[in-house]
Order: sequence, then structure tokens, then C-alpha cells
Amino acid sequence: MSAQIKALGIIKSYIGGKNEIIVDAGNTVRETMRALNIPPDVVALVLVNDTQQSKDYRVQDGDVVKLLAVVGGG
Amino acid sequence: MRLYAESSKCSGCHACLVACSLNLFKENNPKKAALTILPQFPAPGVYEVEVCTQCGECAAVCPTNAIQKNTKGAYFVDYAECNLCEACVPVCPENVMFVRSGLAETAWKCDLCGDCIAVCGTDVLRIGEIQAKA
Amino acid sequence: MMNGYGGNILRVNLTTGKITKEPTSPELASDFIGGRGFGAYFLFKEVPKGADPLGPENKLIVSSGPLSGLMIPGAGKCDFTCKSPLTGGYASASLGGIFTAEIKYAGLDSIILEGISPKPVYLCIDDDKIELRDASSLWGKGTFATEKELKEKLGEEFQIACVGPGAENGVLYAHINHDYGRQAGRGGVGTVMGAKKVKAIALRGTKPIPVADLDAYRKAGMALFDACKKSELLKPWQNLGTTMVVSWCDEIGALPTRNFSAGSFEGGKTLYGPYMREKIVITDKGCFACPSPCGKYSRMKRYGTNVEGPEYETIGMIGSNLGLAEIEDVAQANLLCDDWGIDTISAGGAIAWAMECYEKGIFARADTDGLELEFGNVEAVFKLIEKIAKREGLGALLAEGTKRAAQKVGKGSEKFAIQVKGMEQSAYATHNATAMLLAYMTADVGAHHNRAWAITYDLQVGRELVNADKVARVIWLQHLRPMFDTLGACRLQWVELNIDLELYPPALEAITGVKRSWQDLHLVSERIWNLTRMYWAREQKDFGRAWDMPSPRFYTEPPKSGVTKGQITKLDDVNKMLDMYYEQRGWTANGLPKPETLERLGLTMLVA
Repeated sequence: MSAQIKALGIIKSYIGGKNEIIVDAGNTVRETMRALNIPPDVVALVLVNDTQQSKDYRVQDGDVVKLLAVVGGG
Repeated sequence: MRLYAESSKCSGCHACLVACSLNLFKENNPKKAALTILPQFPAPGVYEVEVCTQCGECAAVCPTNAIQKNTKGAYFVDYAECNLCEACVPVCPENVMFVRSGLAETAWKCDLCGDCIAVCGTDVLRIGEIQAKA
Repeated sequence: MMNGYGGNILRVNLTTGKITKEPTSPELASDFIGGRGFGAYFLFKEVPKGADPLGPENKLIVSSGPLSGLMIPGAGKCDFTCKSPLTGGYASASLGGIFTAEIKYAGLDSIILEGISPKPVYLCIDDDKIELRDASSLWGKGTFATEKELKEKLGEEFQIACVGPGAENGVLYAHINHDYGRQAGRGGVGTVMGAKKVKAIALRGTKPIPVADLDAYRKAGMALFDACKKSELLKPWQNLGTTMVVSWCDEIGALPTRNFSAGSFEGGKTLYGPYMREKIVITDKGCFACPSPCGKYSRMKRYGTNVEGPEYETIGMIGSNLGLAEIEDVAQANLLCDDWGIDTISAGGAIAWAMECYEKGIFARADTDGLELEFGNVEAVFKLIEKIAKREGLGALLAEGTKRAAQKVGKGSEKFAIQVKGMEQSAYATHNATAMLLAYMTADVGAHHNRAWAITYDLQVGRELVNADKVARVIWLQHLRPMFDTLGACRLQWVELNIDLELYPPALEAITGVKRSWQDLHLVSERIWNLTRMYWAREQKDFGRAWDMPSPRFYTEPPKSGVTKGQITKLDDVNKMLDMYYEQRGWTANGLPKPETLERLGLTMLVA
């Protein structure tokens, strides 16, 4: 069971410059980020299948999870 | 073919108007654009967009035959032939036939260039087949 | 005729009624470009030292920029500059919407309001037909009714910028409204307009804006739009706008809670973006030529009202900072501030201070006109906003801003007036975020976030880290971000959609005919930054390091709850950062530009 993590903007730099990476499903978004060495704090927005979810959302088989950082702010 | 506008998606930005005036007159002047944005504020708080449906009513009444079809099959105004009689303005069902003699010595209308679509960030506009009226 | 410019500076002497136009100087355009650059120049040069901000010598300088009104994403920003009635120093506020474009179509670059009108007036600009008209029937009306009435009278094509009763009554942080929901918010720019008895500026222009190379400009503009539309970040941003970061700020301890006593709000979930979208948002509303509309026009069913907003700042300052948890209530408070015409950020800061005074027993109910000023009391917030706008009762004290109010009240309340230079801090809690703290300390108008926003950067490199790189980052942002205000366009297409900054110089060159790299633009920003620093030094006795110090809350009071519980910056580190900042800027240890710095920036003559 797997899911796709899409790294937007500066998040790419945490996964070796890649745009996306396949991960196991079943963990929370937070746990998944930690396993990828992405500091959870830096991610401002988590979109699962284009809907905002919290970092405690448990990733399911086939999910497309977009991780977004706000680099510039208001 | 004609322009379609999904008004509910319009954010009132006016980018389409500038792109249009650049196409029609090579000028940055949204008051010389061939589509209209009507803000409805403070209530209900939405924008209405009016576009040319290429119905041809304007061409039918033009006494100098200044309104012809271009290679896209869209009606356009030949500026050299327009005599500013304004016969076209009241017959346009969408109010998108424009005459403002202080701004241009010709009537103007949408010629389906598509530049408005290129600058619209919220997918309001598209070009599609003319649907026959029910 | 100057490519990219309206071409003229309009001067309106309200005392005499005389209206004059002069051509925009090419030297001015070259050295200061436009927008807030023009504002800073005219402020320093023409408002005499010691001018009373509410008096006839102050000027309100309204400026468009070379990108405004053109086919460039976000070409809709207008600068309002004056001497601030709130801080006594430099005020500059940025207005979105359509107004700035209309300035250019009217053949203008700046509108300078001078003197004081003997009677309420509105300035009516219809291309070259410019006159002051009687506004006595509008005086006293809210901003929405004023805009509606003027549009009905003059026509929908007129763009309206107006003040509300807050400005008329002299609230020191009154703002200017436009397009039913956009504001020039901070520093009392509205207060100055009200003091001059100008109720509104009504503006229509039908002239084209000239550009140097039409084909290159169309190509460069289309490339910018293309980049915006292709950005992966476009759809999330369009959906939520700045409300996107409410949940995140709550998570990282940046959401101001109960007068910045903490950075996370336990009631926060009913303030978050997606909840707000579903509950109240009806239209995505944007500024001129913006493909990524951040405005969220909302319908509050509970109150039967509409408002543009709330956006992040208002959610932080009127929501979590006051202990208000329900977004619909925050939206209604937002509407009250907008209609009465006062800045939501400063109002939120002032009310939060008053609530803490009440909590600590510094205020009793006798002092609060009987209001139970507890954090979370929605009705008290609504009533207090109105009192502030009318300067009645406790509202009269709060209308002066927290710095003056705390000086008057004393009893230790100065310690929790969360402000720098007299301006209330905007909505990022900085208990343990040293770059952002420095940003607030050194922003040129007071504690405002839009010059340098470094929240993610602090998290990336280490919140409590204090080093030269962090300081350099803040300085870089202080040049880059305000350059957009100078160009007359929004920075959020770059900031939020991550489009390539290098797309801008070709557009600017095609428009103005002048080639400028980002390095060139940074230099102009640095020039403006130093000029406004010299303005503070001229206007405020003993201006210097002490004026850059943050609220003591951020180096003495670790939050007792939330994500940043127990975390606080050390005063030692505050001073270390300031030392490095001054050094990197070429300023003295007391924070004043050194002569060689002024020389390098070509400012020596101007500030002499």
C-alpha cells in the first residue's frame, strides 16, 4: 500500500530536489515527513487529494499528498 | 466560435480588459476593451461578465458594412469603414458593442483574439462552439 | 511623456483650493522609481521638520508606480505616505484594488494633498477636469455608504478611496477604504486625510499608459501571467488566500493569542482557512490584473452582513489575539472596523492591551464603561470598536494607540503594550523567532510584517539562532519586498506562487525603456530605506537604538501555554542582532546611517 508525496517549492530541497516520492501508506503525514527528513514545522499546508488536512491525517493507499511551504508570507 | 464567460469565477481583476485594449488598439486602456465587468458590491458581492456571443445583430444593422467576419469566423469592426452612427449599439443584446467618440473614432467589439483567456487566472473565459438557442 | 508613467504630479492645496499639475521629473523617476519611493522623497523634502501630523504642514502623498495599470500580474498597488499621527515618524501604507491603475489612466503618478480644507470636501478627478467638491452630506457616513453613494452619483467607472468616521474623529490609526474591502491600513494615513477634511478621492482616467517597446512588453507580461497560471501553488492560494497560514501559525507558535501572551490558540480550529471558506466565503476577489485573488468576500449569515475578509492579519489580531474563536464573529468585527474606518491590526492590538489591563485589575468595570472586557467577549469587542471610532469613553484612550494609552495609564501596562516605535505589532508572535523579531524591530514604519517576513526561514535554520546570515536575510527582504510597493505592483505573485523574479526586469525595461537589474532595484530600495531612517532621526528627539527595541514581552515572558511554552529570546540576543544589523547596514552603534552610507546612496544633499 503506497501513496505519492509531492514536494512543492522549497520542500523539494529536503528530498534531494525531487518533485515527488512514493512512500508507504498507513503512517500519519507527520511521521511520513519525519521519515523523509522534512522538518514538519516548515510545511505550512498539507493537501491530500487537493483537500487541506492536518499533519495527523493517516495517509491511505493511493493518496496524493502535496506538501507546501510558505516561503514569503504575507 | 464565441467567447464564454463563467461569471461566478470572476474576481474583478480587469486583466482581460487591458489585454483586450492592447489587441484592439495597441493601447493600455481598459476603457477600450470589448467585454464588460460589472461589480455587484457590497451585495450580493459578485462580478458579472458580459461578452460578445457573435450573434451578428450588429453586422445586420450596420449601414456601411463596417462589421464583417474575420478568419476566426468572428464579427469585427473595420475601423476605416465605421462612421460612428451608433446603430449597432442598441441592438446588441449583451451591451458589448462600444462607441465612445472621445476615446476612439470607431465603434469596437470583440474579434475573438483570445488574449483575455491568456491573462485570466481564474478560468472565467473560454472559446467554444456557438450553441444553438433552445 | 515618460514611458510607464502617468506623467504628472497633482498638487491639491486644500487651504487655498488651488490645484496644480507639474510634469513628473525624470530624475525623480530614475532615483526613486515611483510608489513608496516617490512618497519617501516628497515626505522628506516637503514636509517640514516638526510638522504637526494633523496640521496643515503634513502632506498625504498618494503614488502609483511604473507597473501599475499595465498587463502585469498584480499591477494594482498604491502607496499612501505621510508623517504618521500614530508614531510621529514615517508612515506608508499600501492599497490594493483598482485605484492605482486609475491614477495612471488619469495621466498622474502622484496626488499630493496639502494644507487643510475649511469644509469637508471630496477630490473629484475626471481626466483633466479636477475639482474639490462639497462633502458635507457624506461627512459622518461609513465607508461603504460613502463609496456606494459616490459611485451612484458619478458612475461605476470612478474609483473611490474614502475615510470613515474613525478618521473624521481623529482615531490615530484610521485607514482609507477602496473597492468595498481594500485598505491603506496602517500608521494613520486615513487620520491625515480626515484631518485635512478630505472625505474621499473619486477618480476616473481614460488615457492610455505609454510604454517604450509595446511588443516586448506584451511578451514579457504574458510570460509573467503564464508563470503564475502554471504555478502548482496557484490553486491552493486562490482557494484560501492568506487564511492558508492560520492553522500553520497556530502549529508553530506564531499565532498571536491573548495579547501575544502565547503563540497558539486552543480555540483556533474555528478560525482556520478551510473552515472559513466553507462557512462564509462567497467570492474570490482580487486587485488589478491579479491572477491569484487572495481576497475572500464573505457573507455572515448570523449578522446578515458582507465583508471582504477576514484575511490572516485580522484573524490573528481580532480573532486569536482577543480570544475570539468563531470566524463569523471575527468577520463581523472586521466589517465594523472597515465601515467605521480604523485599522484592524492596531485596533486588535489596542483592544487586546485593554483586555489584559482588565484581566490584571488595572481597569475595573468603571474604567471600561461597564464592559466586561474579558478575552473572548465578542459583544464587548463589537462595542469597543464603535467606541474607538467615536472616541467615546474608553475608546478615546484606545484611539491613541497602545503606546500613548499605556503611558497615560501606567501601572506596568507599558510592559504589555505590544508595539515598536508606537505602532502595534502585527499578527506574528515572536517569542522564539529571532529573524522575525528583528524584522519587527527594524521595520521602517513600526512593528509591521510586510517589509521582511521570515517565519519559514527561522524554522529552517533554527528559531533561536542569532548570526550574521539571519541579519543579512532580514536586510535582503527589507529591500526586495518593498520594491514591489515602489513599482506599484503586488509582491504576492512572487511570494506565494514562487514565480521567477527574473521575469520582472525584462517587463520593467520594455515598459519604461530603462534597463534595471534586481541589483539596481535593491540599491534604490536601500536608498529609500536610509532616507526614511533619516526622516525618523529628524522628527523624533533622541531617535536611535532605543526605538528599535521590541516589546519586553518578547525577551521576558515565555508563553505559559502552546507550542512555544517556556521559550523566549534573551535580551542579550536582541542586542546582538541589533548590533549586527547596524553594522551590516553601515549605520552607527546607535542606529543612524553613517555619512559614507548616505554618500554611497546619493542621499547626502537631500538629507543635509
